Amino acid sequence: MITVELRKMFRRPRTWATIAVLNALPVLVAVLLVVTDLAPRPGEGPPFLSAVLRNGSLYPLAALAIVLPLFLPIAVAVISGDAVAGEAQAGTLRYLLARPVGRTRLLVAKLVAVLAFVVVTVVVVAAVGYLVGTTLFDAQPIGGTSVSGTSLTSEQITGRTVLAIGYVAVSMLGVAAFGLFFSTMTDSPLAATMGALAVLVTSSLLFTLDAASPIAPYLPTRYWLAFVDLFRDPIQWRDLTRGLALQGVYVGVLLAAAWANFTTKDVTS
Amino acid sequence: MSAVISTRGLVKRYGRVRAVDGIDLDVQQGDVYGFLGANGSGKTTTVRMLLGLVLPTSGEVELLGGRMPRAGRRVLPRVGALIEGPASYGHLSGRENLRLLDASGRGGPWRTRSARVDAALDQVGLGGAGRKPVKAYSLGMRQRLGLAGALLRRPELLVLDEPTNGLDPQGISEIRELLLDLHRGGTTIFLSSHLLAEVEQLCDRVGVLDRGRLVLQDRIPTLVAPTGSTVVHSPAPDRVRALLDGRVTAVEGDRLVVRGEDPAEVNALLVGAGIPVTGLALDRPTLEQVVLAAAGTSPDRVEVPR
Amino acid sequence: MSDRGRAAAPRWAAVGVLVAVLVSLPAVVGALPVEDADVFAPDLRAAVLASDSVGYSGYAESAGGLALPVTDQLTSVADLFSDRTTMRVWWRGPADHRVDVVTTAGETGVHRDAGGSWTWEYERATATRTEAAPLELPAAPDLLPPSLGRRLLSEAADAELTRIGARRVAGRDALGLRLEPAAPAASVRRVDVWVDGDSGLPVQVEVVAKGSDRPALDTRFLDLELAVPPAEVTAFRPPPGATARNGRQAEVLREAGDRVRPVALPPELAGLPRRVLDGAPRGIGLYGSGVTLLAVAPVPEGLARALDDTLAQSPDAVVDDAGARIAAGPVGLMLVEPPGRGPYVLTGTVTLDALVTAAGQLPELAGTG
Repeated sequence: MITVELRKMFRRPRTWATIAVLNALPVLVAVLLVVTDLAPRPGEGPPFLSAVLRNGSLYPLAALAIVLPLFLPIAVAVISGDAVAGEAQAGTLRYLLARPVGRTRLLVAKLVAVLAFVVVTVVVVAAVGYLVGTTLFDAQPIGGTSVSGTSLTSEQITGRTVLAIGYVAVSMLGVAAFGLFFSTMTDSPLAATMGALAVLVTSSLLFTLDAASPIAPYLPTRYWLAFVDLFRDPIQWRDLTRGLALQGVYVGVLLAAAWANFTTKDVTS
Repeated sequence: MSAVISTRGLVKRYGRVRAVDGIDLDVQQGDVYGFLGANGSGKTTTVRMLLGLVLPTSGEVELLGGRMPRAGRRVLPRVGALIEGPASYGHLSGRENLRLLDASGRGGPWRTRSARVDAALDQVGLGGAGRKPVKAYSLGMRQRLGLAGALLRRPELLVLDEPTNGLDPQGISEIRELLLDLHRGGTTIFLSSHLLAEVEQLCDRVGVLDRGRLVLQDRIPTLVAPTGSTVVHSPAPDRVRALLDGRVTAVEGDRLVVRGEDPAEVNALLVGAGIPVTGLALDRPTLEQVVLAAAGTSPDRVEVPR
Repeated sequence: MSDRGRAAAPRWAAVGVLVAVLVSLPAVVGALPVEDADVFAPDLRAAVLASDSVGYSGYAESAGGLALPVTDQLTSVADLFSDRTTMRVWWRGPADHRVDVVTTAGETGVHRDAGGSWTWEYERATATRTEAAPLELPAAPDLLPPSLGRRLLSEAADAELTRIGARRVAGRDALGLRLEPAAPAASVRRVDVWVDGDSGLPVQVEVVAKGSDRPALDTRFLDLELAVPPAEVTAFRPPPGATARNGRQAEVLREAGDRVRPVALPPELAGLPRRVLDGAPRGIGLYGSGVTLLAVAPVPEGLARALDDTLAQSPDAVVDDAGARIAAGPVGLMLVEPPGRGPYVLTGTVTLDALVTAAGQLPELAGTG
């Protein structure tokens, strides 16, 4: 069932169109940076962008930081919101269930497919970022400087970049879980996507609000940018581990809710 | 003969509305069962409950000897279904759609998948559809593709909801032949439809649903059995009435209904009296008459409450 | 109903239980009992003051609500007291430690060694060398609970100290020590220092101003590990490709002091005795002790005008015949511009009334009345 879902997802032109659009923004930013040579002022702009002008091989990280706040979650919300509701809207859900495909199995397969989309997207963004970064900027293949000002070997940089890609992918799991949960609640993929996005917007908004600071540690977007901590020296694990745990809790709870809802609901689409 | 579909006191309530209200279906192996009902009478909800898509509020569904929805994993692979029109992934070809559908369920070895898919496509007459994406298919082609999906695993039971929808007359007759062919091969067919003619041509048993209730369930030959009267057409109805005084139960223009289950005997009497007879037949009700008598007005008719 | 193959209620109930457990988890952990120890307040203070050689590493957060009215040269200081600052710290000793102020997209690290300190700013890719000086502007490291706690307790009298139970900070049982300054001029209502019982290390400091119940400054550890960190973590060498330069921050102070016109300041202001601080410019007068401090300095006209503008825009400022003044939490600031004479700035952790009293006692003003 999982391979079936993967084939469905990656044979869909829309999947690749989404990934392409997602890559357009970092490429555009890179071109503008090269043309104007204006680095963002300290404290403003996405992380790593100013460092890219010194070392282009850091551009994968800057690209991730550019798409992370908005584009990537939107893409994940679209794909995950479509997961069950899309099948319901197309009418194929009833045929799948009458095949029969177990409802729990279908849910797991959908989750894995969304997961695969997240991983592929993040890796593609990073890869395109690396290509763009090394062709447009000066690249220093021999190591680099950590955020803390110490020198990192190229193996360290590579290893930490891989970890960062992994962390960003995990950060998107919460969005995917929201999308999937809403997707089991409605027959309209658009409504499910909007639901997931509404959660994200709320979370981002509350995060900037001082009055919401008591609940800030539990907001799904709270630890998204913690992948920057991988490039401090020593690595600051605190937010990273919390981010992983938080995403784990959200995924666990929402999947349980999605399962409780989907396995007991009437399929009338 | 064993029951293929059997429900007991099946009820589905949506809020205060009883969409399905205590249905006791009984479909035997080898039946071609016509499930008749107007739009909105609860047919689709019943079909969905049979397949475990909708969970009954109360009552039981037994499908191929297994209690639904729990036994779905065991019995649904032996069932082929076409539910409320076909559905497929528009950007993929029909063949790819079937391959995906086949791969979704358990127990379809991938080695024989292509053979199964090709056989199903040939059966419904889509063998030459090629790589065209489904979104370029006509309504009839989609209907055929949906049917092919139902036939993929050579099911013992076919549950078909409006299978000839969107097909042209040739297509309808082709599909009818296909279904009768499958039936001869031992497949039980449960055909849900609002088209009386279709049911009449295909089915040997019929169940009639009206506003969530099963108002009629019987073999068609029994339903349209002779009433024990003879229908006579004569240009001189008054003379017929005079001759067969007391035996004429109804006169409608030149059409008379005469008690007596032997037309030859009635004919001999009339001809003996020199009364011209232009038509003579055993009186049997049409299925339409039976159904209309059992079911009330159309449920989409909304009357002013009095 | 039991006939249904998939009953919804039990499944949703399972989800509900899962959510309830997860939601209540933080509250349960927070409600774990904390062990208090039978330590007298003066002994606890002594333990705190002796803790500056305790090695540790950790993650601290300080939240300040002090909007200091300052001019452009000192915005970094102002941000320190008005914002939420998160810091990573590795402490091997007073002259060998590293404090990184962590922001989402970068960090500013201060690496202290025997001769001075390196300040690394990631987003500017700049390393700044600053020589050690006896008096330095407040910086992020000064906000760490141990540094701040030691400083605030250093001149406390035993009579001002009380014990206030215990609480859990950074997963450790911390003993509470409360300082309530006795001086009438004090604007600080109390300082609560929470001390790790084993090491004497302050792990949380809360400063509460008079007339308020909420801390004006709250700094605490979120993570703390009591082990001497390795030397290579605190050491610093400017990375290749970075700009290295010499810092001039200390000179801001020295130059300011040099430009001050020489004024003879009285030995006491608002009941606070004058004191001498090493390295402070001679023209600046410092009064008081402990957490009740007052600084008086004659300032150049330009600085006074800039300050005046800032005060004029602030709705909280009080402007009358005595001068313009403002309080930000426990920190008061007053600008006096006597007609025909140079302006003065008075600032410190004293009440506004005390500032007015002190201004009236200044030599150039006393005569004019």
